[in-house]
Amino acid sequence: MKQAARDQERIEQFTPPEGVPVNFVITSLGARLGAQCLDLLLTCLAVVVFAVILAWSNLLPSETEKMVIVLLAFILRVPYYILSELVWNGRTPGKRIVGVRVINVNGRRLTPHQVTARNLMKEVEFFTPLTMMFAAPFMSGWSIGLTLVWVLTILIAPLANRRRQRLGDMVAGTLVVDNPRTTLLPDLAVSLAPAGATSVAAFDFHPDHLNVYGRYELQTLEDVLRSPADGINAAETARIARTIIRRTGYDGPVPPGQERAFLIAFYRAQREHLETLRLFGTSRENKHHLATPPAAGAPGAGKA
Amino acid sequence: MSTAAANSTDTPARADAAVQGDLLRSARFRMEREQHWRRLDALVTRAEKQGAASLSYDDARDLAAEYRQAMNSLSVARDISLDRALLAYLESLCSRAYLVVYAPQETLAGLTRRLLLHGIPQAVRRSALPLFIGFLALALGAVAGYRLFMDDPGWFYTFVPPDLADQRTPDASAAWLRSTIYGNEHHDADGLTTFASFLFSHNTRIAILIFALGVFLSVPAFALTFYNGLVLGAFFGMFARRGLGFDLFAWLSIHGVTELAAIAIACAGGARLGLAILLPGLRTRREALRHQAHDAVKLVILAGLMLIVAAFIEGFLRQLVQAPAWRLAIGWGTGALWAAWLLFAGRPAKAAVKTPARPSP
Repeated sequence: MKQAARDQERIEQFTPPEGVPVNFVITSLGARLGAQCLDLLLTCLAVVVFAVILAWSNLLPSETEKMVIVLLAFILRVPYYILSELVWNGRTPGKRIVGVRVINVNGRRLTPHQVTARNLMKEVEFFTPLTMMFAAPFMSGWSIGLTLVWVLTILIAPLANRRRQRLGDMVAGTLVVDNPRTTLLPDLAVSLAPAGATSVAAFDFHPDHLNVYGRYELQTLEDVLRSPADGINAAETARIARTIIRRTGYDGPVPPGQERAFLIAFYRAQREHLETLRLFGTSRENKHHLATPPAAGAPGAGKA
Repeated sequence: MSTAAANSTDTPARADAAVQGDLLRSARFRMEREQHWRRLDALVTRAEKQGAASLSYDDARDLAAEYRQAMNSLSVARDISLDRALLAYLESLCSRAYLVVYAPQETLAGLTRRLLLHGIPQAVRRSALPLFIGFLALALGAVAGYRLFMDDPGWFYTFVPPDLADQRTPDASAAWLRSTIYGNEHHDADGLTTFASFLFSHNTRIAILIFALGVFLSVPAFALTFYNGLVLGAFFGMFARRGLGFDLFAWLSIHGVTELAAIAIACAGGARLGLAILLPGLRTRREALRHQAHDAVKLVILAGLMLIVAAFIEGFLRQLVQAPAWRLAIGWGTGALWAAWLLFAGRPAKAAVKTPARPSP
C-alpha cells in the first residue's frame, strides 16, 4: 500500500476540457541527471571537435579562431539549453535520448519565458558548482564550506517537493515528465484463444472458481502470460497452474502439458467475470476483497 | 452509436472474430476502435517529430476528431477493461495526444521583436525598486571602496584580484598608470576580437550568476554587485591619488556606462527574485517567484544585450579612441540611448491601459 501511495505521488494529472484526466509520470532524479550529463558530454564534444577541425583545416587566422571558440564555448552553456528547448518544445538532445521532456506546470504550452528562466538558473544550480568542484583545491576553508551549503541547498530543493522541481523549475513553473511511450500489445483473450481453441471447452469454470481473485491477480497473470515463451519454463507454468487450482478449488481435469492452455482459459474466464462484475458496480482490487467488505458473492465466501 | 459505421467498414478484417461471437466485451470494444487509435498514434508521432505545422488540413482535422475519440475510449476503458496492456497503451497515447493538442510549440516568429519593442522596456519601467537596489549596491560598493582605499591603500590588495589588477597597483608610478589608460594594453589590433569575445562571455556569465543567486533572498546578488563596486572604487581611488581621476573616468565611461549598468540591472533581476521570496504579498512564495520571474528574466536578457555592446566598445573603441572628451561622449551617449529606449519604447495608449497606476521611474 505504501508503495502504491508513493507511485501515486509521482503522477501529475491534468484534466483537459474533455473531462478525462490524463496522467504524466514525473521523471526520477536519476534520469534527469543522466540527461544533463549527456547534454554536457554532447556540448563538450561539439566544442572539442569544432576546435580540432578549425585547427586542422587552418581556414581562419588564429585570432579569429580563438574568438570563435571562446564564443562557441559560451553559447554551448546556457544558450544551448534555451535554444534546444525552444526549438524541440522542451526536449534537449540529452532529454530526447533519455526520453523525458519539460512541460508547463499548468499543462498548457511551454512559453519562451519559462524555457529561458529555468535554464538561466542552471548556471547557479549546475555549472558554477561544477566549476567550483574543480577549483576546490585552491579555495580556503570557509569558501569551501559556503560552497557545500550552496550545493546542499540545490540538492535538497528537488528532493523536498513532490514534483521533483529544481529551483529553476520553480522559478519558471515547469515540470519534467517522462515522455510517454506507446506500444499496443495484442489482446491476450483474442490472440491466444486460437491456440487453446480446442481445449477451451475442456476447462469449465463455475462462478465459484472465479470469485477468489481480483484485478491485481488477473493482471499479474497477464504479465506471466505475456512474458516470452522461453522466459518462463514449463515447471514454473505448472506450479502457477497448480496454485490457481488449489486456491480456486477448480475440480476439472488438467492433463499434464496442458497447463499453459489452462492458464489462458482461466485468464479469459476470470477477466470476463471481473469485467462483468465491474459493469454492475463491483470492482475487486485483489484477493483480499473477501476479507474486508461483506462478501459480494455469498457462495464464494466459504471457500476462501 | 458511431461505432456502427466503423463496424461496417472493417468487417472483412475481423470476420473470424465476428464468427466467434463470444468475444469478451472489452476485446470487442478494442477491436472496434483500434484502427482509429493507430491513426491517432501515427498523426501524433508525426506532429512530435516534425511539429504540428507539418500536418495538412485534413490531418489536423483528423487529429482533433481522433483525439476526442481516443479520450472517450480511455474514459470507457478505465471503467470496463481489465486488460493492462490496453489501458497502458491508451493512457500513454492520450497523454501524448494531449500534449500535441493542448501544449503545441509556441511560435517563435516575432518573439525578438516583441521582446525588444514592448517586453524589455515595460519590464524595466515596472522594476523601479529592484533597479534602485541594484544601482545602490554598485554605488555603495564604489563609495566604500574609494573611502577605504583613501584611508589605507593596502585595502587595494584585498579587493582587487591580482589577475585583474595586472601590475596596476598603488605602488606603480603615475607615468606607468597613465600609460595603461592611453596605451594599447592589448597591444596588437588582431587581439581585439578575441579580447572582446572573451570579455563578453566572461561578463555575461557573471551577470547570469548575479541574477540567479538572487533567488537566495537576493543577498548574494547584492553582495556580488557590492563587491564589483568595491573593486571599482578602489581602482578609482588609486588613479585619483595620482591625479588621474578625470582620465580614468573617461577611460571607464566609454564602456563602463553600459557594462556597469548591465551588472546593476542583472542585480535588479536577482533582487526581484529575492523580493518575491522575502515579500510574497498575498501570493504563496512559489507563485510570487513565478510571477516575478517574468520581469526578472527580461532584465537579464537586457543585461546580456548590454554586455554584448559593452564588450564591443571595450574590445575595439576603447583602444581606437584616445581623447578623453570623445571617450566621455561615446560612453554617456550610449548611456543616453539605452535610457531613451527603455523609457520611451513600447508605451502606446494600449499599454497604459494594460498596466494602470504604475508610475514610471
